[in-house]
Parts: sequence; C-alpha cells; structure tokens
Amino acid sequence: MNPLHARYPFFDAAREAVEASDVSLAALVAESAPAVARGRERVERALRAGTTAPEDPGEWSPRDELLSYPIARILVSLVDSAAAVRKYAAAEAATAHERFVTDFEAGDDGLRSTGRRAASLDEFLDEFGLDDEVTAEPPTTARRPETFRVGLGTYLRLADAGWGERWRLVNREVAAGAVRIEREELYRLLEEAVRRRVAEGLPFEVRGSAGGDRLAEALEPEIESLRELLADRGRTWRIDTVAPELFPPCMKHLLERARREAELEAHSAFALTAFLTGIGMDTDEIVELYRDSPLDEEAIRYQTEYLRDETGSQYASPSCATMQAYGDCVNRDDRCETISHPMTYYEAALADADGVVDWRERAEESEA
Amino acid sequence: MDDRTRAYLQGRFGDYYRSVDIVAPPAAGDREWGHIPWTAGTGTTMVRHQSLLDLGDLGDFLAREAPRHAYFSAARYADPSASTMDGKGWREADLVFDLDADHLPAIDPEATSYGGMLVACKDALRRLLDILETDFAFEDLEVVFSGGRGYHVHVRDDGVRDLDSEARREIVDYVRAVDLDFDGLVTTVQTGTTTRRTLRTEGGWGRRTHEALLELVEELRATDEQDALDRLRELDGIGEGRATTILGAFRRNPDAIRAGNVEVGGPGLRMLVESIARETVERETAPIDEPVTTDTKRLIRLPGSLHGGTGLRVTRIDRDALDEFDPLVDAVPDRFTGGEIRIDARAETAVDLLGERTKIEAGENTVRECVGVFLMARGDAEKARE
Repeated sequence: MNPLHARYPFFDAAREAVEASDVSLAALVAESAPAVARGRERVERALRAGTTAPEDPGEWSPRDELLSYPIARILVSLVDSAAAVRKYAAAEAATAHERFVTDFEAGDDGLRSTGRRAASLDEFLDEFGLDDEVTAEPPTTARRPETFRVGLGTYLRLADAGWGERWRLVNREVAAGAVRIEREELYRLLEEAVRRRVAEGLPFEVRGSAGGDRLAEALEPEIESLRELLADRGRTWRIDTVAPELFPPCMKHLLERARREAELEAHSAFALTAFLTGIGMDTDEIVELYRDSPLDEEAIRYQTEYLRDETGSQYASPSCATMQAYGDCVNRDDRCETISHPMTYYEAALADADGVVDWRERAEESEA
Repeated sequence: MDDRTRAYLQGRFGDYYRSVDIVAPPAAGDREWGHIPWTAGTGTTMVRHQSLLDLGDLGDFLAREAPRHAYFSAARYADPSASTMDGKGWREADLVFDLDADHLPAIDPEATSYGGMLVACKDALRRLLDILETDFAFEDLEVVFSGGRGYHVHVRDDGVRDLDSEARREIVDYVRAVDLDFDGLVTTVQTGTTTRRTLRTEGGWGRRTHEALLELVEELRATDEQDALDRLRELDGIGEGRATTILGAFRRNPDAIRAGNVEVGGPGLRMLVESIARETVERETAPIDEPVTTDTKRLIRLPGSLHGGTGLRVTRIDRDALDEFDPLVDAVPDRFTGGEIRIDARAETAVDLLGERTKIEAGENTVRECVGVFLMARGDAEKARE
C-alpha cells in the first residue's frame, strides 16, 4: 500500500484503496482489530488534545493507520454530536497540517532520512483541485517560493475573516483576480481544505440496515466512553479572574516555558491555552500575557480561536490525569493532593486568597 | 395616483412591451421572477415565487401584464417557484452590486437634481468597475442603469457564483475599504540582517496608495523646490525638516520609492503615505449598498423592463459605451417620444429629458409623452383629459 495513504487517509486515493481492498470494517470491529483501537484513539485524542496523531506511533502499522480513519468516521457519526464532528474534523486537519509541513520542508528529493516518501506541495494542491488556483511567485532571495497567488474565489471560499485582521480581503494585496499570500498562509488554507473534506458527510447514518445496526452495537463500548469524554468536557467553570501567581504549578510551569522557549509541544500549548481561555481570558489578553515570549502571535491567536467554538463554550482544559499522562504535571504542591483538575486548583486558590487584583486591571494601571 | 393615470400608464407600458424584445438573463428558467402590478392604493404587493414556467413566455407575460415593476432573482434554484426560500434549493447567485444616489456620501438628495445625482452615481460606477476589473479581474459583467437613481452591476464569472453571503461581505468591505488596516499597508521586509519598511505594492489598497504616491513624486520632482516643500508641509505633523527629507528622497531616490521602499524618506514619508492612503480610499471607494450584494436571494430589476417610478427603461449599457451613456436620453423609451399628452401637475417643476428642459406649470400642461410619463410615474402629476 501507499504509505502516504496512512499519513493522509482523507485523500481520495486512500478512500479508494480502502474500498478496493476486500477489508470489511464490520469484520475488523468483530475481531477487535488494532485499526479499531486506533480509530477510537483518533477520536479520543481529537476531543482531548486537538490532534489525531497516535500517542505511540510505533504501535500501529500503516494499514492500521489507514483503516482507522473510516472507523473513526463511523465512531464520530455514532457519537452523534455536532461538537464532536466539529472538533474531530479540526483535529484531523491540524494533524495533517503538522504532517504536511514536515513533508514539504523535507526537501525536494521527496525522501526524508527515514526513507519514507514525503508528500509534495503540488500533490496536495492537486488533491484539493487547487493546482490551477495557486501560483507560486518566483523566489527572490529564498531558494523556494515564499509567496503565492491564489484565485479570489478560492481564497474567499477557504479563508475565514474570523481568523484575524490580516485575513480580511480588504487587507490583502489583490490584483488581477488573485490574492497574494505567504507560504504559511497557504498551509493554513490547505488545513482548512482538509477540515472541510473530513467534515463532509459527517455525521452519517450508520444504523438502519442489519449490518449497520450490528456495527453500532459492537461499537457501543467505544461510543459510551467517547460520550463520557464529551460530557466531561461539558463542565465549565465560572471563573473570570486572572491572577497568574495563583495558577496551579503545572500551568505556571508551562507559562514560564512558553516565555522562555518558542516551541511548546502541541499538547502542552493546548493545555495552557485551554486553561487561559477557561478562566475567561480572551484572545487579545492571552496574546498580551505571552507578550514577552518568543511565541508567534498568529499561532496563539489561531489556537485560541480554535479552542472557542461558535456557541461560545470552550474546550475544557485537560484534567490532572491528562496532564500526568503527558508529563506536564510538575512541581506538585499540597493543594494538588486535594484536587483532580487544574481548574479546581485555581478555583480553590482564588477562594483562599485575599484582595486579588485581576492581572488585566494591573496591566491597565501600568499603562496609565 | 388616480384610476385614469394608472390605466394610462399600464396601457402605455403594455404598448412598450409589445414593441420590444426583452433579452432574458442567462439560465432564466432557474430563477425566481417577481413583479409589482398596477394596483390601486399606496401599498405595493410584490407577486413573487414564480418561475418562467408560471409566467409562460417572458415577452408575452410582460405584454399581457404590463407590470409596474419587474424583477428576477440573482440566484438560480432547483425549484424557483417553491413558496419558501428553503424549498427552492439554492444553487448559486450572480454577484450583484447596487449603486444608489441616495447612498452617495457627498449627495444631498433634497438639494440635488435627478440628473445631478445620476452624474455623481456614474462616477461611483466607474470607481466600482475599476476595482471589479483591475483588482478582481471579473470578466462577465453586465452594467445596467436601474431606471431609477442608480446603477447595477451583475457579475456572473464562474469563480464567484457559489460564494456565500459572508464571502460576498468580504468583497463589499474591500470595495468600500471598510476595516482597512492602514498600518498594515506598510510591511517590514527582512533582507539578510537588515529590515526595511515597504509599502505592499502588489495589489489591493496598498497598490492604489502606491500609485497615488508615485504621482505625487513625479509632480513634486517637477515643481520648484520651495513650492514642493510648502506642499508637503500642508500635512499635519510634517515640518520643515521632515519635508526636506521627503523631498530629498523623491529627488535622489525615486527608484526606491517606485519599488515601494518607504524607509528612505524617514518617518515623515510614512506619515505622508498614511495620509495618501486615506485620500486614496476617499477617492477610489464606491459606496455600494451592502445588503444587495450580500443577500444571495435578492430580486433585481429586469434589464429591458420599465421602472414604474420613472417610466425609464432599465437599460443594459455596453461596457465600451459607458462614457457616452446618458440615462436621461438613452433610457427614455422610443415608444414615449413621439407624441404629446396632457397632464395635471401638482406643482411647478422642471424635467430634464432627451437633452431638453421642460418647464411645468402647476395644473394642466401639454408635454412630450416621456415627460408626462415621468411625472405621473413619480406621482407628481395625474393624467388630464385630452
């Protein structure tokens, strides 16, 4: 099989490969094949950490990876919640984004040191029917093109004005029916194309035929645990005070690392941003809090917007268990022994503290 | 409007429709059709949710009904005659722009003549077309005089018909420069270890600003030094020192400025750029009516039909003939230019049509038919007995 299909299972050719093979998804489920466990992990990680990449990449064969995608789609359909579909599609797209950046940056020979064939930008454009819509400007100083022109209609279809001021058409260089974008921005548009492809047709009706009913029944335990995960996420805290000195040790640590190093691992950045969003900070305030860090403002903005869905509810920040699983639970103190969620820690710390001045007001005072 | 006037206008509209061939828009069968009949009373009731199948042949329908106003949808539907919007099955819609003299910022509708408003509106139309053609490179454009106070542009290029309302709003905001980030027009370019502030000249409002800046460069290079400095010092925040630096850059380093480099003229040049950007926006935006463009299910006047509020023809304008187009001549239906009729005017007024001014006394007048139709359609006169 084509190893690219395992990496990008939403490609048309990957779907065709699954269809053409004699693999029966029902049989996989019946025999609890690894692809089923991996499919469940895809959805679980999508809801928990905003990624569908495996926690342990060595555990799964390319075949498991490829087949886990249609399984994940069945699971998401059975969970049957708009939030699950939205988050799943966004997570598949974010994961694809990480992967294609790695692939595109791997160089022109198309081979990484591991010998795995990397996808090229042209292949991706082709996959989404964008080959005629995106033109590279000849590179001036760099070795490869850093600026592209994308057809006006395509730009407007993919870009979302809500991503920030610079995505507004009015702030773009538009000429001769094309919009000028940077390489990273092209990647963002590709991610959106992936998100839409993944979301297309979700959720679909699994039940309704004898085979479908049997499948749904066999997957009941998986569905149950995914629903619990969603419900768990449903808990929101009514906190709207920002006092960084009262943050739980794990969040203090992450914030400090974010200020010191440019790159937090995806799950750590997710945990921190979800926590900050959860205590009532808006995008501008989070950007301001990171002000002195080397983190890219656009990346912070993007992640913050992503964590907030249209209904205004938020992605819950990970529990202590999840923080421990990722090795982000550090410097435990006495209060940590009494709680199971960083938010609960912070809630209690706020309740115990006297005369807390919100950091946002402090910021305003220092400006005045 | 009294019964006699209404019957007269409906009859004459019918005569007009029998004498012309109305060219239907593309995919006419997939569109919703609507019209407002000549009913008594002040209320207007639009008959809509009709398909071409309901109407029968378009020409026959217009000749038979002689409606007061006739419309078709910008949208194409699976089932255009379904009675609910959801039931119609939206497929795509032309991208429509509407310029209305009522919305021109510099025009006071109370104080400006009808002709004056239309002239101002045509200027706005030229600015709109410049953006649509230069920046967006739209090719399938239909420019139409609305028969009333403005112009419509129907865009039917392949790449735009499926755009949703939000995407269309982005287009509107671009044309009107709404939320334009003036600071963002200048970007910092890194070359090796040095950075340089550069105007984004490759398109959009940056390119337009750059063109205006280059015009100023050429103009001031050809101007006597002291006059040029005085010109620059008219701007807030630019004193003698900054003006000298800017002019020095204009004279010694015009190529850098042609390449978009705004580092060369110091902070004064960057202030000048922002001020030019604001002037450019003022001069080159077109005040299009947003809801017309963002509403993907809107009904638009049918080109070739008559506007029931003026008796003028909703007129397609050949793109190359825009300069010569005079709505007060070219949109007057031939059918109404032959004879004279008697009307009873509410008040003294004057009408400019066909290149001549007709003075109207309060009470009965004998006028060219097009003048009479115009006044009656506007509600300023009634039909008098011949």
